[in-house]
Amino acid sequence: MATTTATVSISSSDLMPGSPLSITANTVLTKAGVTAGLTQMETGVRSIVAGTEYRLGPLATEMAGDIHDVASYLYLCNTTTEDATYYIDWGIHETMIGKLYAGDWMFIPWNASDDAAEIEIEPQGGTNTIEYAFFNSDFILTTAA
Amino acid sequence: MATLTPTLTLVSTDIASDELNFSVTDSLNITKDVISVSKIQLSTGNSTIGATSYGKSYVYLRNTDDTIAINIEITDGNDTIQLGAEEFAFFPWTGGSALIAFSASGTPYLEYAIFEA
Repeated sequence: MATTTATVSISSSDLMPGSPLSITANTVLTKAGVTAGLTQMETGVRSIVAGTEYRLGPLATEMAGDIHDVASYLYLCNTTTEDATYYIDWGIHETMIGKLYAGDWMFIPWNASDDAAEIEIEPQGGTNTIEYAFFNSDFILTTAA
Repeated sequence: MATLTPTLTLVSTDIASDELNFSVTDSLNITKDVISVSKIQLSTGNSTIGATSYGKSYVYLRNTDDTIAINIEITDGNDTIQLGAEEFAFFPWTGGSALIAFSASGTPYLEYAIFEA
C-alpha cells in the first residue's frame, strides 16, 4: 500500500491585525474506513473549452466494491493566467458549488456514494487549463467494446 | 483587504515509480466576511456552518476526530464530502447552497474557516 500525504497551510499576516493566521493540517490518504493507503492515482493537465460541462473522475459504478462508497481525493487547479472572466465552475452532479479563478486550487475528499455524486466542471470565459490529481483505490478500467 | 495564502503539498514516495512531490500555492484577496479558525461539536443532526448569504468564498474544513467521519452536505440531500478521521478540505464556494455538517455517529469536532473574497 502506498503512503500519500497531503498537507495544507493557510496563512495571512493582515487578515486580523495583531493576530497572524497560520493553519497547518495534514492527512494520509487512506481507503474508506481503514488505515490502508490508496493505491491508484491519475494526474494530468487538460485544456478545456468553455460552454460544456465535463465530468472529472469516474462514476461510482466505475469503481469496484460491494458498495459504491469509495474514498477518493481530488486536487484541481485552474492554471490559466487570464483575467477574472476566465474561471471554472465546479460542482457535484447538477449543483455548482464554487468557482476556480486563475491560479485557484482545491483539495477535497470525495464521497463517491452513487453515480449522481459525480464531479462536474464547466469552464467559463474561454479555454481554461486544469491540472488535476485524482487518488483512490478502486477505479476499474472500462471493458473494451 | 487582506491577503490569504493557501498552499497544498502532496507527497508520496511509493504510489508510482516517479515520486510524487509537488506544492501549489495561491494568493487570495479577502475583502469581506471572515470566520476565522473555529471549532464546533457536531451530532448526527444537521449543523449549518455556512449560510447562503455568503458570496464568493474559500472554505477550510478539518475533522479533528481520530475515528468518526463527518459528512458535509452542499448539494441538497447529498453528503458530498466525507471527511474521514483527521482529514481536511479546502475549496472555493459561491454560497449558492448552504454548507451543512453532521457526524456519521457520535459527537466529533469540526474545525472550519470561511474567507469571503
